Amino acid sequence: MEILANLSLGFSTAFSLANLFYCFVGVVLGTLIGVLPGLGPVATIAMLLPVTFSFQPVTALIMLAGIFYGAQYGGSTTAILVNLPGEASSVITALDGHAMAKRGDAGKALATAAIGSFIAGTIATFLIALFAPPLADMALKFGPAEYFSLLVLGLVVSIVLAHGSLLHALGMIFLGLLLGIIGTDVNSGAERFTFGQPWLADGVNFVVLAMGMYGLGEIINNLEKKETRDVMAKKVSGLRLSWADFKQILAPIMRGTVVGSFLGILPGGGAVLSSFASYAVEKKLSKNPIPFGEGAIEGVAGPESANNAGSQTSFIPMLTLGIPSNPTMAIMIGAMMIHSIQPGPAVLTEQPALFWGLIASMWIGNFFLIVLNLPMIGLWVRLITAPYHLMFPVIIVFCAIGVISINNTEWDVFMMAFFGFAGYLFSKLECEPAPMLLGFILGPMMEEHLRRALLMSSGDFSVFVTRPLSATLLAVSLVAMVVVLLPAISKKREETFKE
Amino acid sequence: MHMGSFIKHPKDFYAGLMYALIGIGAIVIASGYNMGSSVRMGPGYFPTVLGGLLVLVGSISIIRSFTHSGEAIQRFYWKEIFLVLGSVVLFGLLVRGLGLALSLILLVVASAWASDKFRLRTALILAVVTSAFSALVFVKGLGLPFVIFGPWLGL
Amino acid sequence: MKKTILALLASAFVATAAHAAFPDKPVTITVPFPPGGSTDMLARIMTPKMSEKLGQPVIVENKPGATGAIGAAQIKRAAPDGYNVLCASIGVWAANPFLQKNLAYDPAKDFDLLMVAVKSPNILVVNPNVPAKDVKELIAYLKQKNGKVSFPSSGAGSSDHLSIALFWMITNTTGIHVPYKGGGPAIADLVAGHAEVSFQNLNNVIQHIKAGKLRALATTSEKRSPLLPDVPTMVELGYRDMVVTSWQALGAPKGLPADVKAKLHESMVAALKDPETAKKLTDPGFEIVASTPEEFSRFLNAELAKWKTVIEVGKITLD
Repeated sequence: MEILANLSLGFSTAFSLANLFYCFVGVVLGTLIGVLPGLGPVATIAMLLPVTFSFQPVTALIMLAGIFYGAQYGGSTTAILVNLPGEASSVITALDGHAMAKRGDAGKALATAAIGSFIAGTIATFLIALFAPPLADMALKFGPAEYFSLLVLGLVVSIVLAHGSLLHALGMIFLGLLLGIIGTDVNSGAERFTFGQPWLADGVNFVVLAMGMYGLGEIINNLEKKETRDVMAKKVSGLRLSWADFKQILAPIMRGTVVGSFLGILPGGGAVLSSFASYAVEKKLSKNPIPFGEGAIEGVAGPESANNAGSQTSFIPMLTLGIPSNPTMAIMIGAMMIHSIQPGPAVLTEQPALFWGLIASMWIGNFFLIVLNLPMIGLWVRLITAPYHLMFPVIIVFCAIGVISINNTEWDVFMMAFFGFAGYLFSKLECEPAPMLLGFILGPMMEEHLRRALLMSSGDFSVFVTRPLSATLLAVSLVAMVVVLLPAISKKREETFKE
Repeated sequence: MHMGSFIKHPKDFYAGLMYALIGIGAIVIASGYNMGSSVRMGPGYFPTVLGGLLVLVGSISIIRSFTHSGEAIQRFYWKEIFLVLGSVVLFGLLVRGLGLALSLILLVVASAWASDKFRLRTALILAVVTSAFSALVFVKGLGLPFVIFGPWLGL
Repeated sequence: MKKTILALLASAFVATAAHAAFPDKPVTITVPFPPGGSTDMLARIMTPKMSEKLGQPVIVENKPGATGAIGAAQIKRAAPDGYNVLCASIGVWAANPFLQKNLAYDPAKDFDLLMVAVKSPNILVVNPNVPAKDVKELIAYLKQKNGKVSFPSSGAGSSDHLSIALFWMITNTTGIHVPYKGGGPAIADLVAGHAEVSFQNLNNVIQHIKAGKLRALATTSEKRSPLLPDVPTMVELGYRDMVVTSWQALGAPKGLPADVKAKLHESMVAALKDPETAKKLTDPGFEIVASTPEEFSRFLNAELAKWKTVIEVGKITLD
């Protein structure tokens, strides 16, 4: 078996003392920066790049990769505990994860995230080992038309995210799409909705928006509830998952892993879509009496697994084709070149120890993460049962430092305050922020791909249906739309009859 | 209060009004951008369409608010809003000149004031601990580009 | 009011500090892009050796926004004491002035130019499915397709966009310019065959050329690249004006004291001439230039004149 030979080469490389140590350093650092919203893995890897100059290339890559997936992990911890989603994928985790925490189930939510991520990471590692080259070829089939259709599907799916009124979900999605347009237009280079302000030229940063809407908005909301003083339930239920819990999350983890593994390889946006897609799937399939959005455990298990599987498979196009699927992968390519390695098809044949060593290290890194974090859960949970009037100023400090460190500008802090007010206003009007954030993320990509596809086809709209992959995705969107709309319409009819 | 009697669902009404106004604003601003054609969609195309959709959703929501009834909008807690958001803005204004250490202390004390359990002594202790922790971990440890004691202090 | 007084006091402090032996505190190199790009990478590779030479830490600070205009304008306003240095690319130095309205800096007037640090040639590549085997055939192909050939670039107003415009101008052809958000996705679509022809930095496409996923037709440097000795230059093929390189250069706010300027320049030369540092740069495909300030000044004027013409004749606007 060639795979076994490859994996054993990988593990023998990854198990060297230096590689184990730096893998550990990487995931710990990653978890740390993941907890702080704003300071993302790209900036951290760029800052640490010079430190790795003296390392063996494989050691450098193992540590940098550890930072990347460690950060994904740390991000979900803050999302669950204090409702601070530091990146797009944790918005979903925050939905049910934080609701669980408020109920006193923070331990369970964290354990679910940890176990889900670990299982997903393990499966994704084997997927990479088995199918890396064919999966990479699949990524190349996605041109502008296919991406546009995929994003349409994503938007349809996002309607599922809302648990309130369908009309408001649509309104918030459109609002998010519009907000995403602020800044420099990719296709023409023109600045839109920037009012001539240079600090708006690159648009609104996701973290600024999310910290304002979720972080600050939620804090003001909590402060006004004076009677029900304690935001977090005082009694904390068991920190560990029961066997019944485990059975409940196993299927969502598996489904999330599959969704995440496939979407993760698509350059640009695939990984973001994966947690949204997994959430939508679980919401449709769930038999949990607790509704989604109010602390359903599957709403944490599925998306967290999808996210982790996706972040691992996003290495596939980078390693096998030399094509970066996200900014972190782009800087990994830079790191490889500094170490005199040309990323691309040759890596697999010329540097097998590096390729397989890196893959094996991902599994080891995931193992470190779960070993590190399961015992930490108790500590985290105790931390958030601290009196709220002492906790919220510290959360504000984290938001402020995190946001200012993104672009090193105080304008982002002011914008965060603005979105804090917007978030508070939305909660008063019962408009949910999650569909808006999805619109905000997908909108610019959707416009970019739509215009690019039409530019390349000389304005022929039929590209979206004559290309088989694009046509399939649009057909699935149509079906999904019907599935989403039908219950809403029939429910509305019921309501009308009741009146 | 005449309007009020027509509006049965204030939340839908004001949310709809918000969508519609933002939509109109987007259309007006985007009218200054190149619309292009379907082959070469200009930068004005997408925002205009979105503005139109927002106006549509907003109008439906406003009309619904006259026919369906819903709860009143709860009151705004202006003191909390002002202290939480104001302390954040203050931090943004001061962090470069005053440095991270002092502006964080101000941020913590001012925002903690928003709670009705506010005690100056506790808030000060919390502020100093948070500030020291942040300076050590974020600036010394992670190397974030902040000055701990800013140029205004003349140290 | 109080704020301005404090700020004045602060600048007085900075001014006195400059008179002490330079450097007596850390030097900051501002990169006007987010971490991770070529310019950021150059700065981070150079700084360890610069610190060694100067005896003070050299820190890289990213100040991204408006294709580098925000960071460049910030350095223009900074104190000319040697502690604030700008490290930026061709776009910031030579293209922004003709592309951005109300640009808050003038590259030729607002800075003390230090050096052009590195350059890297651009290369004309096509997807292997494009029938053209050389530049002549490509021109015939473009004419036959009547402008319906897609040219991806890493963004509107980027150096590869300008290369495309220059190429069309010189060869009297045209095509569909398709801008992307950065070089990565543009190259991905080029490799996958969704787009056809492009000019890209050699270091970004060399592995695809070697793997046969892209076909190199010509380089835009004066001389052939040692990495691709069989690929002719555009100059050899008779297009004498088709010389485009991407480059990164350093500058400081106008009014730098001569001794400080000399010390900074010396530390940069030391860093770039250090064999280990040089290898870190040449491996990813940079060519080390390490020019003198005077050479940079002449070069900048030539580049400004060139891109002014291309942008005006090619009618490149951002709207």
